[in-house]
Amino acid sequence: MDDIRIQATERTPELDFNFSNNQFALRGESYPEDVPAFFSTPLSALEAHLGAMTSGEVTFLFQLTYFNSTSAKVVMKIFELLDESAAKGVGVTINWRYLADDDNMEELGQEFGEDLQSAKIVMCPLQG
Amino acid sequence: MLLNHYKLRETLEHQGALFCYSGYVNEGVLSGIGQAIKQKLSMEKIDARTIRDVFSVFVEQVQNVIRYAAEAQPDASPSTNVLSYGTLTVGRDAENFFVSCSNRMARGDVTRLQQQLSMIRELDRESLNKLYKQILKGEVPTGSKGAGVGFVHIARNASKPIEFSFIEINDDYAFFSMKAMI
Repeated sequence: MDDIRIQATERTPELDFNFSNNQFALRGESYPEDVPAFFSTPLSALEAHLGAMTSGEVTFLFQLTYFNSTSAKVVMKIFELLDESAAKGVGVTINWRYLADDDNMEELGQEFGEDLQSAKIVMCPLQG
Repeated sequence: MLLNHYKLRETLEHQGALFCYSGYVNEGVLSGIGQAIKQKLSMEKIDARTIRDVFSVFVEQVQNVIRYAAEAQPDASPSTNVLSYGTLTVGRDAENFFVSCSNRMARGDVTRLQQQLSMIRELDRESLNKLYKQILKGEVPTGSKGAGVGFVHIARNASKPIEFSFIEINDDYAFFSMKAMI
């Protein structure tokens, strides 16, 4: 699977899906005009890639500063895909990175993370 | 005309408006005003969380207005260039910032929206968070019958229950307004 790398814009996050070494990242703000248009290709690729894995290690970094409600659905979808993959025996680590004084992003990480059954979430506060 | 604008501005200032837009809304309007809101509040040294909440509620409200035009006219595609008309205000009173929007809507949709918003108003923080997650997971049907994720998102960002009203315009249309205190 070819790696997918998309530069950040004012309204879309930097997306870095590195399938060859199983490192994935989303960084920045996310409130695209058209959420499906932005996320559908990378998300399908991620789903197919994780679906084919039964072992190994996957790391997904979220370093978002703001996301709107439709992007929140995408974040939830990624959490679900990662957790399913972890349930099959893949070692999954989700790194949730946020500015240390950003209570809201910290709470969102906790909310999204609390339902994980198999994947591990690591809260990573960044000192401003 | 110039005098009228002066009066209009005085009226808006009296209501605490920092920004007010009334007209056809597209994603470019959202981007432009959204950036200006962030810039103005940052210059006033407002705390980061408040800026983010004001901005976040503004985005959800504007996208709701934009989306409503699409839903109201199912035949419309991006190429037919359907724009919805909305009135958007961001301002502050003695205690809080507020974000409000209004738009015309089909009268037939009023009951459903009224029920949704009344239900959301009644929820405490914990129930609101639970509902938000259920919607994100697709466990609650969105669209015509379920609760809109945007309204729940707004309620979570607001410091008080969302205020809303519907005014009958004629047999076909009603005027919908909502206001969120941050």
